[in-house]
Amino acid sequence: MSTMWQEAMLEAFRETTLRIAHFLPKLLALLTFLALGVAAGWLVKVLLLRLLRAFRFDAVCERFGLGSSLGTAGTKQSISHLVGRLSFWLVFLLFAFMGIDALDLTTTANMMSGIIDFLPHTLAAVLLLLFGVLLANFIAEAALIATVNAQIQEARIIARFIRWGVLIFTAAMVLTQLGIAKEIVVAAFSIMFGGVMLALAIAIGLGGQSIAKDVLEQRLHRRKMEQDEMSHI
Amino acid sequence: MAMTKTVWPQVRQQLGDIDKIEVLVGIPTFNNAGTVGPVVKAVKAGISKVCPHASVLVVNADAGSQDGTPEAIKHAMDPDTPTAFVQHLEGSLLSGPISLQALSESGVPGREHAFRAFFTIAEDLQAKACVVVDANLRSLTSDWMEVLLHPVIEKGVDYVAPLFRRARYEGSLTNCIIYPLSRALYGKQMRYQSGGGYGFSRRLASLYLTKDVWEGEGAWYGIDSWLTTVAVAEGCEVSQGFLGTRIQDVKLTGIELSVVLAQAVGALFHFMEAYQDVWEGRKGSSPVPQFGFPYEPGPVGGAVNVERMVRGFQQGLRDLLPIWEIILAPETLAGILALGLLEADEFRFPEALWVQTIFDFALAYHEKALHRDHLLKSLTPLYLGQTASLVLGTREGPPEDVERAIETLCKTFESMKPYLTQRWRFP
Repeated sequence: MSTMWQEAMLEAFRETTLRIAHFLPKLLALLTFLALGVAAGWLVKVLLLRLLRAFRFDAVCERFGLGSSLGTAGTKQSISHLVGRLSFWLVFLLFAFMGIDALDLTTTANMMSGIIDFLPHTLAAVLLLLFGVLLANFIAEAALIATVNAQIQEARIIARFIRWGVLIFTAAMVLTQLGIAKEIVVAAFSIMFGGVMLALAIAIGLGGQSIAKDVLEQRLHRRKMEQDEMSHI
Repeated sequence: MAMTKTVWPQVRQQLGDIDKIEVLVGIPTFNNAGTVGPVVKAVKAGISKVCPHASVLVVNADAGSQDGTPEAIKHAMDPDTPTAFVQHLEGSLLSGPISLQALSESGVPGREHAFRAFFTIAEDLQAKACVVVDANLRSLTSDWMEVLLHPVIEKGVDYVAPLFRRARYEGSLTNCIIYPLSRALYGKQMRYQSGGGYGFSRRLASLYLTKDVWEGEGAWYGIDSWLTTVAVAEGCEVSQGFLGTRIQDVKLTGIELSVVLAQAVGALFHFMEAYQDVWEGRKGSSPVPQFGFPYEPGPVGGAVNVERMVRGFQQGLRDLLPIWEIILAPETLAGILALGLLEADEFRFPEALWVQTIFDFALAYHEKALHRDHLLKSLTPLYLGQTASLVLGTREGPPEDVERAIETLCKTFESMKPYLTQRWRFP
């Protein structure tokens, strides 16, 4: 009885020690990867920040109205700083995933392959989002200047409408790219876009007849109006 | 070089054994059959008066007229006068960056290519002088040739710019921005009027061909917006010729003011970057020789809708403020904001504030603070405000008041130039 008890105890101890001995290097690997991730992330962030400053990235973003958009969204940091932070976390996460992979757990193995498969979609979505925001700002600014120069009183509303139109379109594309509720996004976008157009048509048809008439008349008679005025050049 | 290769064979086979000329007359055309006949006859009469024994070549660069313009020229020309036709400026001639021809005073498409062809031929045939006249003019007389040619042939002048008698507020963009800023920058009192007719020496024609203005960013701007600037900045012997009143067959209408402004001011700002070393060191300004008969300021022209201009300024102030905040210095913006409180009748744009505004726009263009097309077009409401101020300040007085106001503005531009130079290199 006493021998059996002893063997059972020793066996349990041996197995646990063996498991710990197997797991400890993996844990050590995870910790090493995390530490490396912090170091590499910091290095990438610093280098990227210097590079962006050298190319006056913030000034370029300001030109396209990205800085003011982020300001409106409540972000007080510069865009290069945000990109730097993003790069840090991307590198850190990459190393963290390697560390988790080193643990060799069945559940994390599936998760890792899923994450790696999804990475190209995420990158494409980020680029789409960036391009969409830039395009929305650029077109809205052009529309605002053109409508102000044409002395259309609703200039800001038109510009805002254009900006949000492009942003909503971008959001729908980003969500589709990420594969998030694809069908719902397409349906929602179609319904919303169609709804807005229908609302506009009804608004102009019922309430804005005179405005539409004025705009068309102004457009058609512009040539005559300009002939009445002086030549500027 | 590609241009020479394209144009030269077309012209060479029409010239027979001519390999040297003294005067080249260039006529760019596009559907000008109705006016080109009298233009050609006046040119012929003018040349026979100014230089009766000179060998002359008339070159017509046609942009694809459908109304028989080249035939009208052939019909009007004396068979003894050598004439060359550069037909259908297309294919390789029109290739390259699209230039905004909206500003072309004559309304001739491919105007830059026509001028380039004239300069190329003038250089190859070693012409002493080159005169370019628009084909849509109804006011061109034989006297124009004396004004445009004589200074080049007899006085060694490189460039004769046109100077027209204009209605009181005509050319307000030139008078409020282009002329004062160019004068302050390059130190020459050229009025920067454009179109109608020009006189060039071969030296200047060859110089234009070597400059980086036919391709790249320079080619975005219409040729009329940079001919004078390049001549002045390059230190050529420049002058102005009084050509009387300009009456055109087709007036420049239907083009948005903001497009015209972006073209003219954009060209000026572009050349500020190209000629930075030239203008930074120049101080004050000096008059240039003038030829022809001077004339009194023009009468009051067409209707000037001041209220609409003030409304345009006020709307700009309301809607474009976030954009102006990027472009203008805080003290300039504060001054402009104060103008928003004025009633339409008492609206005045202080000269110093206007000068500071233009300098801020030039600096923002240089620093690429905003997309350049947006930046230039966002100047339109401010320009309307300045024009309204000029009209309100002078409309009760005699026509000379406008000239006096423009002169005062020019002097303010000159005295405030250090504001620009200090910030240009070290923003």
